[in-house]
Formats: sequence, structure tokens, C-alpha cells
Amino acid sequence: MGTILIKNGRLVDPKNNRDEVTNLLISDGKVAEIGCTDTTEADTVLDATGLIVAPGLIDLQVHFREPGREDKETIETGSRAAVKGGVTTAVAMPNSNPKADNQSVIEFVIKRARKVGLINIYPTGAITKGQAGDVLAEMRELKNSGAVAVTDDGVDVQDALLLRRAMEYAKTHDLLLMSHCETDSLTDGGVMHEGWVSTQLGLPGTPAVSEDLAVEKNLMLAKLTGARLHILHNSTKGAVTSIKAAKAQGFTNITAEVSVQHFALTDEACLGYNTDAKMYPPLRSREHVDAIIAAIKDGTIDALTTDHAPHIEPEKLLPFIDAAMGSTGLETSFAVMYTYLVQPGHISLADGLALMTHKPASIIRVKKGSLEVGADADIALFDLKEEWVVDPKRMESKGKNCVFKNLTLTGKAKHVIVGGELKMQNGAILQ
Amino acid sequence: MSEVIEKTLIDTRAGRDVTFFDLYSIDQLTLPDIKLIFEIARSFRESKTAKLTLCKGNTQINCFFEPSTRTQASFDLSAKHLGMDTTNVGGSTSSAKKGESYIDTVETLDAYNVRLMVIRSSEAGVAHMVASTVRASVLNAGDGYHEHPTQGLLDALTILDELKTDSLEGKVVVIVGDILHSRVFGSLVRILKKLGATIRVAAPQTFLPAEVEKFGLTTYYNVEEALIGADVVYALRVQEERGATGFIPTLREYSKTFGISEKRLNLAKPGAILMHPGPVIRDIDIHSALVSRHPKSRILRQVENGMAVRKALIWLLVERYDKKVKPHAYL
Repeated sequence: MGTILIKNGRLVDPKNNRDEVTNLLISDGKVAEIGCTDTTEADTVLDATGLIVAPGLIDLQVHFREPGREDKETIETGSRAAVKGGVTTAVAMPNSNPKADNQSVIEFVIKRARKVGLINIYPTGAITKGQAGDVLAEMRELKNSGAVAVTDDGVDVQDALLLRRAMEYAKTHDLLLMSHCETDSLTDGGVMHEGWVSTQLGLPGTPAVSEDLAVEKNLMLAKLTGARLHILHNSTKGAVTSIKAAKAQGFTNITAEVSVQHFALTDEACLGYNTDAKMYPPLRSREHVDAIIAAIKDGTIDALTTDHAPHIEPEKLLPFIDAAMGSTGLETSFAVMYTYLVQPGHISLADGLALMTHKPASIIRVKKGSLEVGADADIALFDLKEEWVVDPKRMESKGKNCVFKNLTLTGKAKHVIVGGELKMQNGAILQ
Repeated sequence: MSEVIEKTLIDTRAGRDVTFFDLYSIDQLTLPDIKLIFEIARSFRESKTAKLTLCKGNTQINCFFEPSTRTQASFDLSAKHLGMDTTNVGGSTSSAKKGESYIDTVETLDAYNVRLMVIRSSEAGVAHMVASTVRASVLNAGDGYHEHPTQGLLDALTILDELKTDSLEGKVVVIVGDILHSRVFGSLVRILKKLGATIRVAAPQTFLPAEVEKFGLTTYYNVEEALIGADVVYALRVQEERGATGFIPTLREYSKTFGISEKRLNLAKPGAILMHPGPVIRDIDIHSALVSRHPKSRILRQVENGMAVRKALIWLLVERYDKKVKPHAYL
């Protein structure tokens, strides 16, 4: 493993309150020196003039589809998509086939991730056996084999008693529980946000209250049990209002994320029956999007994620009501954050990066997401001046279902280093 | 005889074309489009079942992925009266049952060089999706709970002609019933709005879609209140097959609260008309005595106008005087 000198870049490290043009030396997979001279010797020298040097992004919610649906994505193609977007650490959801409700799937994912060797992948396990919402999965085994959290992902635990016991049991083993908050009986076959747009399209809507009610249920049980609860991809005004109130009461065991599409786009993206805009939770109306942005600004939100969900083309070339849910996002997340939060002046670049680096790292308790001397050398270099049009055909992900298709975004990863090794140089992945 | 009819039609059309190549939503129509369609439809209405040659040599495929009897018959006979060859592709006979996607089915049919595809589906948006992938012109014959544009057109034509007016400004149209599951409503509300009508909707809250008032209408929970001063009473069917029950306790209670009775109909203006898209559930949507033979009922007139409107649209889409060709882009 050689040494790398990153020269003359603007180092933005939110955790250490650092924002300055400087040099950074990497050695033995770690940050060895900051502020070293231009003439410092290194095996590789990256000229970062005009670029942002940031901790590699950490994404708490991706679907890599392996094992089981390698036609949609594999750990390799998903990792390549991550590198392309400057994401160096990803948390894999357990809805593979077989589901990650036992240690063998967790161990398989970790083994495959190491073999691919592009990014850090932390798997999650299921809360219930088969994500069926009936019986608890063996959480201790899941944790011991490497799961950083348990979640039933796209299927929320509907039974309140089971959810209470899941939280109590997760707490027993000091395991993070992630909830996708949805009340199935209220969703009732809804395929997009219920509102004026769903009425115009004649599509069954999912009311915001389906999410609001489930968030309240999860918060109340987290307050009761003291379990560490992370609420996935919040999309409604009600959800963030409840989370803000819980945090104000002093419940530090609660964290919350927003997926970048939920502040960038509204349900109007579904007009014309655009199946790329079909996802869960659905893209919401302006009122909710504004509340989400406000919650990001006021600190209610702890992380920004993608919910990267690749699908094969035939699953999206269907009537809207039958099309698969989800969008890819790993290759666009930084640019979406920068274009829709930083450029309009909602938050600073450092605050945006914080939500994509050290804050998510602390939720899953990994020592990553910052760039002090001795830190893991997971680094992404971004060009904030580059404007580009999203073309899914040119993406690394197998999934070409990207809701940002044809939009012009600003900001792009140029070089990516993971564990001290250069994985992408000038936009080209090096393996 | 048919030469005379064709000459009248050609004179009525006066070299005009519509602005669209496919019709999947009333939103696509301009006011001149609507005017043109209605003028020609009135002419076709007079021609009854005359066998014409205006569209001879062209093929229409009726793709009814959701079963239908009356609409399919109307589209099929309309094309035949215009001299076209037609064939039907249905739910139970189609390749969809074998797992073929809509896109593959319609692209195959498109390769037969058909000029017109009539699409009916139980899912919203299928006609729109098909229109963007085939070279044939696409006519939406009903997509899920979204729209049924030819129904909207025939309803508007019926209202204008039966009220003997050329504008709906100031006219009050009351729509009663299951709005939520109604594609008929989806097209009716859009065309009434374009023509300037005042729209009232009477239904229990469970039958109202979210933010429906944004169409520019007033909602009523009390049907009597809504009916006072109405020019048109338009009843919709409670769509049991679409799972509409569960939204109301019983059909009995619905009929008592919202069913159109003689007494309720008399709250409307003296010259008011009663309409329904069919099929009627007698004594639930409308009391039996009012259905077809009541002097206020225009239900069979709607059916007649349906064929006239469909003939007008088929002719306008199949024979373009401007020789414009549909821009074709595969998905």
C-alpha cells in the first residue's frame, strides 16, 4: 500500500470543523499528516486544486440485491456505483433472497464485499424471521456475525407488541433498530402520495398519515423501551414534527434520516405516469418537501441517504400501479444534496457533508466519516463546478431506474480513496 | 345516399384537423378541437348506421384488456360504419395472460400497420403509455380510475344539445355518486371545466378523492342541497366490482341518502336533464322509473351520441388533411 499526497485541495471535514486549502498525506490506509509541504514525497500525488477534499460519504440505506437478485444489482456493481458517487461506506438492507435473517447471509455479504474490495459495506439483519413480522430473528447471532443494525426494511413491523419486544431485545444486545414507518392498513394499496396529483392521475394514494402514525408508534415504543431507534427515509411533515418533539424531550436514543429524493422532488414527478418516480415512501407534495427541508435545517435530521433501489427495466415498463418501487441514487446523492440544499442556500456545504459523513457514522457506531490524523483514509474529492445531466445509461449501477434522469445537477466526485487505496481517478474506477 | 352523407361530413369538416394524434386525456383538447369534434359528431348522428368509405383501407384494433360490452361495441361499430377493418384483442384471449407485458403486446399489434388502437385497461395510464410507444394513434377507452375521454366528449355534447345551448357558462351540473372510482368523472369534470360549467359534486366523503375541489368544483354531503337549481343531474354508478362497497355501509343506505328519486330530481330546474354513463344499477343510483323512459332522462341519448363522437374522432385521427404524422419515439 503506497502513500498518497493530496495537494492543494479544500479540505472540508465537518466533524473537526476544518475548512481550508491544504495538503493531506495518506500512509498505511490512514490519514498520516495534514498541512504537509508541497514537496512531501509520496508514491502518488493527486492535484486537488479547485476540488473539495471530504471524508468519503456514508450511506445508511442501500439495496445491493445480492444474494438473490443479481440481475438487478450485485455487491460489485453496487460498489462501483457507490465509488462513482463518492460513497465509501454503505449499509446494506436485509431484503435479499434469502433474507438476512440469519448469520450465513450476513457473513456472505461481508465476504463478498471484501472480495470486491471497493468500499466498506456493513450489512443489516432482519428484525423478524423472513421479514414476515411474526417471530423475532436471532439478533444476537446477527450482531455477532457483523450486522450493524436490525431492520425489516420495506416492511414495517405492524404489530405493536412485536415491535415493543423487538426494541427491548435489540436494546438487550445494544443493537440499533431501524424502522421503515408505514401503517399498512392506511396505505391500502396506495402507489403514490395521496393528494392533488394522485387525484389527477386516478391512482390510489398513500396518505401522509400512514407514515405519521407509524412514526408516532415507533417513537412511543422507543421512549418506553429506551432502544436505539433510527427512523429511515422520513418524508412527511408529521413525521419530522414528531421526531423533533421527541428529541426536544431529550430522547437521545432516537435518530432520523431523509433520502435525498424527498427534499429534491415532489409528487409532480409522477405526472405522465413516470414509473421512475414510484417509490416508498412516495415523493410527497410541496408542503411536505418544505417541512423536510426545514427539518434538515433545524437539525432534526441526522443523516441523508439514498435508499438506492435498482430494478430491471421490465419491472418499470409497466402500468404505474404495477411497476416496482424505488430509484437508484448512489451516483447522484452528493450532487442532489449540493444542488437542492447547498446551492439554494438552505444549508452550508459542511452541514450537508456532516449529514453524509460523521453523523451517519455515529448512528451505526463506526469510526469513520472524519479526516483527523490517524483516521481511516476514506476520502472523496468533489468538483463543485461540474454541471452534468443525469444519464442512467452511463451509470455503473445495473439499475437504470433513476428518478433524477435528465435533470442537470451540480457537483461530481473526481477521485475516491478507500482505506488508503485510490479507487477512482479522474472519474474512472481503477478496477 | 352515402355519397351525400360523406359530402355533408366533408363540408362540415371544412379542411380542419385536430391538434393531437392520440387521445388519452381531455387535458389534451383545445377548445377548437372540441368544437370540431362536436360539429362532425352532429353530422354523424344524422347518418345513423350508413355504411361510409371515409376510412376505408385502415385497420382498428380494439384492445380491451379489461372486459367491456357497450364501449367495445360502440367503438367497433363506429369503425365499421366508416369502412374500416376491425379486430378485438381481449383480456382472456390476450398474451397478457401468458405473462407478456402491455408494451410487447401493443408493439406486436402495431407491426400489423394498424391506424388506430382503442385501449381499455383496469390500470390508470395504460393508454398514455401505449401512445408513447406505438405508431398507431391511440384512443383511450377508459384507464383505471383515471379517464374515459370519449365518454366525457359524448356527455358534453349531450348536455349542450339537450339544453339547446352553445355554452355551459352559468349552467349547473351536479355529479352524484362514486367519484373516487370513476374514470367517467375524470373526463367529465375536465371537459365541463373547459366549457365553463359550474360543477357540484354530491357524495359521501368516502367516495371523494383527495383535494378533488382543486378541479374547480364544490362538494356537498347533502344531495338535496346540491340539486337545487341544477341544469344537469349526472348520476354515477356505485362500482361494486371496484371494491366500492366498504366505502358505504350498505347499498340500501346509499340509495336512501344519495339515490336519484323523482322527488330529488324535482329539486333541479324544471328543464333539467338526467344523465348516467351506464350501466345503471336501478333503484340504487337512480330510481327505476327514471332510467330510460322518463321525460328528463337522456341516458339513451348519451349512448347514441357516443357512437357519433367516436366516429368523429376516428375519422379525424385516421384521415388527416394536414398530412402530419405522429412523432414516434419508442420508450
